[in-house]
Amino acid sequence: MNLSSLTLHSVPEHPGAFLLRRGALVLSVLGLGSFSPAGAATVAEVQFNRDVRPILSDQCYACHGFDPKHREAGLRLDTFEGATAEHDGSRAIVPGDLSKSEAWKRILSTDPDEVMPPPKAHKPPLTAAQREVLRRWIESGARYEKHWAFVPPARVEPAVTGGPAHPVDRFIEAGLADPQLKLPPSPKADPVTLIRRASLDLTGLLPSPAEVDAFVLASAKDPDAAYKELVEKLLASPHYGERWGRWWLDQARYADSNGYSIDAPRQIWKFRDWVVQALNQDMPFDRFTIEQLAGDLLPGATDDQKIATGFHRNTQINQEGGIDREQFRIDSVFDRVATTGTVWLGLSVGCAQCHDHKFDPIEQKEYYRLFAFLNNQDEPTMKVFDASVDVSGLTGEFNALEKKLKDYMSEHASDLAAWEAGLTPATKKSLSGALLKTLEVPKEKRTFVQNRSLFAASIGGVGPFREANDRYNELDTLLNQGVTTLVLKELPKPRKTTVFIKGDFTRPADEVTPGTPRVLHPLEAASEQPTRLDLARWIVSPKNPLTGRVIANRVWQQYFGRGIVETENDFGMQGTSPSHPELLDWLATEFVQKGWSLKELHRTIVMSHTYRQSSREREDVREKDPNNVMLARQQRLRLDAEVVRDVALGASGLLSTKLGGPPVYPPIPDGVMGQGQVKRVWSVSKGEDRYRRGLYTFIYRGSPPPSLTVFDAPEGFSTCTRRIRSNTPLQALTLMNDAGFFEFARSLETIIQKEGLEAAFRRCVSRKPHPEELAVLQRLGPLNAARTLLNLDETVTRE
Amino acid sequence: MNLQHLTRRHLFSRCSVGLGSIALASLMSERGLGAALQKPKMQNPLEPKQTHFPAKAKNVIFLFMAGGPSQLDLFEHKPQLNSLNGQPIPDSYTAGKRFAFMDSSHRSNLLGTKFAFGQHGQSGAWVSELLPHTSGIVDDLTFVTSCKTDLFNHAPAKLYMNTGSGLFGRPSMGSWITYGLGSECENLPGFVVLQSGPRGPRGGAVLWGSGVLPTTFQGVPLRAQGDPIVNLSTPEAISATQQRQLVDAVGELNLRRLVETGDQEIATRINAYEMAYKMQTSAPELMDIQGESQKTLDLYGIKDTRETTFARNCLLARRLVERGVRFIQLYDTNWDHHGGPTENLEKHLPMKSQDIDKACAALVRDLKQRGLLDSTIVVWGGEFGRTPMGEVRESTGRNHHIDAFTMWFAGGGFKPGTIYGKTDEFGFGPVENPVHVHDIHATLLHQLGLDHRKLSVRSQGLDFRLTGVDPARVVKDILA
Repeated sequence: MNLSSLTLHSVPEHPGAFLLRRGALVLSVLGLGSFSPAGAATVAEVQFNRDVRPILSDQCYACHGFDPKHREAGLRLDTFEGATAEHDGSRAIVPGDLSKSEAWKRILSTDPDEVMPPPKAHKPPLTAAQREVLRRWIESGARYEKHWAFVPPARVEPAVTGGPAHPVDRFIEAGLADPQLKLPPSPKADPVTLIRRASLDLTGLLPSPAEVDAFVLASAKDPDAAYKELVEKLLASPHYGERWGRWWLDQARYADSNGYSIDAPRQIWKFRDWVVQALNQDMPFDRFTIEQLAGDLLPGATDDQKIATGFHRNTQINQEGGIDREQFRIDSVFDRVATTGTVWLGLSVGCAQCHDHKFDPIEQKEYYRLFAFLNNQDEPTMKVFDASVDVSGLTGEFNALEKKLKDYMSEHASDLAAWEAGLTPATKKSLSGALLKTLEVPKEKRTFVQNRSLFAASIGGVGPFREANDRYNELDTLLNQGVTTLVLKELPKPRKTTVFIKGDFTRPADEVTPGTPRVLHPLEAASEQPTRLDLARWIVSPKNPLTGRVIANRVWQQYFGRGIVETENDFGMQGTSPSHPELLDWLATEFVQKGWSLKELHRTIVMSHTYRQSSREREDVREKDPNNVMLARQQRLRLDAEVVRDVALGASGLLSTKLGGPPVYPPIPDGVMGQGQVKRVWSVSKGEDRYRRGLYTFIYRGSPPPSLTVFDAPEGFSTCTRRIRSNTPLQALTLMNDAGFFEFARSLETIIQKEGLEAAFRRCVSRKPHPEELAVLQRLGPLNAARTLLNLDETVTRE
Repeated sequence: MNLQHLTRRHLFSRCSVGLGSIALASLMSERGLGAALQKPKMQNPLEPKQTHFPAKAKNVIFLFMAGGPSQLDLFEHKPQLNSLNGQPIPDSYTAGKRFAFMDSSHRSNLLGTKFAFGQHGQSGAWVSELLPHTSGIVDDLTFVTSCKTDLFNHAPAKLYMNTGSGLFGRPSMGSWITYGLGSECENLPGFVVLQSGPRGPRGGAVLWGSGVLPTTFQGVPLRAQGDPIVNLSTPEAISATQQRQLVDAVGELNLRRLVETGDQEIATRINAYEMAYKMQTSAPELMDIQGESQKTLDLYGIKDTRETTFARNCLLARRLVERGVRFIQLYDTNWDHHGGPTENLEKHLPMKSQDIDKACAALVRDLKQRGLLDSTIVVWGGEFGRTPMGEVRESTGRNHHIDAFTMWFAGGGFKPGTIYGKTDEFGFGPVENPVHVHDIHATLLHQLGLDHRKLSVRSQGLDFRLTGVDPARVVKDILA
């Protein structure tokens, strides 16, 4: 979905209408395109996947598609066999023969009872261009192709043209060389823009003015070497993991509370830290996947591998009174199935929860076979100890102490009895209420804890018993409290999984076993009863046509504001076709061949000229490719919510670069926490925790921090694979008036007073100001100048 | 304000940076940006938009009684329920049904109402003694007694009434409507939320969230305490003049960047700063009701003009409609009368009714006398109703009930003085004309000139609609 264009069009319309590429190809075939010279038609061949399927899928499949329950007249048009089968003496499509093709007659018909799509479908009639595509397709034999995304990526090396050396650039320039476009790529961005862009993209932090100067200097000598060195430095920075960790946490629907109406806080930040660390270590993406989906099932699973399974514990928990708990457990499994499908497969498998998928070949039963993998878990809380804690040693000591204390107490039972017998009403007055109650418990019924408390009271403050008892209490606290995190644990006996009619858990139907959709590669299970681990391995199998593409596309999207497949969460039939299919396949295969290294993928993209080129608008691009789909220039992108905060913190000199740890509570406006059913406490963090990166701010799903959500940070209700980039008055109010941002401005004011306006300007936007810009700021006084700088569009944008 | 105006203001006004701007303007025209400024992209995303067909109404005020008011003690007159008070409900009614607090409540006995009912107005609508003022306006109201929803827990049911889905994260009705229609107000958000009662509604901000729609369309709570809008006030250390200078300076520098880069998003941001600045004065002005006549304050029953009450929120709703705000939602909480020390039918339902009765009637009357009722739809209702069976707690109450409950509508082309839908002798289920939540949504959109089947947005492979995937109907019988 082209989210940015949603805000801009005066009438709500199908977002697919904005997709230049699809339109351009169809139209250019016909010579009807906006940039097609008249009469240049009839050259290109009609291709099913590129030209025909989008029309059939949009206009026909809802009633004549894969889902038999909603199929009208028994006709399916999603397969060659279906489309050419005989129905009542006629065939919808007769390859090569338009006049005998019933579908064609219906398309042309003006009779409301006959015409397709029928009025009741509320579809716009087929355009002249769409009809022309169908006509040519039927006449040329109505050939079907398997949907591109279900065919494994075919690696085509880009043509060597004597042009650019970087494979990405060769693919992009081939697209730009299209006779309809003939757009040259833009020149390389200037070094200041480049270091700011790369730093923000790779670490989410600004370069300091000194770093900018050094880079400009180095670039003057050898621009490529300087840039290469910069990229390596940024990729090695621990802040890389924070920046890209947030990218992954969006997809993991991470937040720090249980959601629904009660929205109690939860502890799962160890999972967040695991993600950051895994990315910093460049854990191969296949392992990264397996540990999150099934780390607990790996042989000899480590604590870290168990923490990783927190991925699917980021579902909401309903603690409202009167609920049916099973209903909400099932809802969380629904969410896990949908999230797994969206994040790794780029498929809207959730659509098959209630019925067979209307557009993609996923049956409802197959949905519940996926569900079965994710339906066998216990949902425990795991204690997590700091690496410095010798858990096994201390546990041994703890157990030994327990034995020692028990032995001591049985040996000295008579001492205690004597002490008890000697108690008088006067001496009893000095004992606590709890002890007095314990004294009333018959000796044989007293617990270990009760006995210890009586012995401790009878013995007083010194002696071997007291020492052992104190140490025991200390270890009890250390081992049984502290940090916890939510994890998955397989049940010894799997739950029974059935299809639910219409997705309603009160209407169970046929029982199903775990399995994967038939349209994809076969599952290779280690045993009769496939597990989550088999599912995870199936997902990252090199035979999977989807995952490599989906992830490469989603990384690409971060750098250009749009994926090569624009519908980054739907690679199915209703998704958009890739703008650069060969590039996508090349990136996907490169990603897998380079050992699923995300850092390698980043390196490949950011080293390209396509990434490094200027983002300036160009008249010719605006005219021929208004949405810049073909990338004749870079995109100017408003920073993500957390980065808006981080940049302001960095510019004002307040930023704490501390990594990891429990979430923090920076100041938020009054009254925010009182909006939900339960008013939550927000005690503002002290010291450097007040100035941590946005990644570490505590997120209550029900009342998230306004300064983040106003810039479109997700609340963690469901997976977010692409953030909206809105542009609103509430953002202006935040940057102008929010107490947090005002505090940053105060700090920047001090910098202006000490180092001057130009220094402050450069801390915000990296470049040097024009004299006219300085003049505007000079008139304001240092505080308002600081506020102005933090409010600039350029400050919250990477160019 | 569009950028043309802004530019002109910079060019010709008192603005101290005028000279620089003249140079800028010529630069802009050299680069062909003058024409670009008139493209739709330059517009405020909330700019009024074309409807699918001519609209009957322009604005909506939704009076949301959070918790689920008891239709059987307010609007549904069921003598049979009273005469069988204390008897078990026949199994035929409850077989196969699911309820909240399943284990404790579904076997309880029928509970008659303790309140007297009377017929009112030309329409002869039944209203209980708890709502004397509402009784006086029944001929302006359209009652639907056969409303039904799908979910019986508070938060999911509230989401359902607001977003058409029980799942968190879908766009709310107010967001859909401002997305579809834009807003006619230039200095306030298009979708505003007002709250009264001891706590926030269950579900919180997701009830007015924009889900997959841009956040531009999300509801903005006008808060009772502190700034009416988060971060509305200029920081204390900053004077009004300095704030204006800030907006001007940001605008000036952003304009330069727009010329430099050609990025139209910067123009949208310049507009956003202008609107934000206007909101800083228009929102406090809106909230200050001291200028209203004593007669008006008495009509609503407002004693203290600064106290946050449902009555004050009703008056604010009228003021918002006057300013062109598209969708106004009032939440009044604590309508969850299960029985028990704090939420029972004997004591607390009458108190809640008194909190809202006079103001609801006043709002309808006030809109009518100002000629605003024709173009404004007023909706009254909760997320569900309550069971004909009583709940056995320390005092009397009723459980959540989703099969039949009452809502009323006024103005905006609804047929006044109408009672639609019929329920069985106990008010358990509809026997005529059931109206599902999605039908209510479809009908409201219809009156606003929007076709619920066309108002959609694509996300995660689905075309999301307020009315979901199952067919929904526009209830023509309740429309004038």
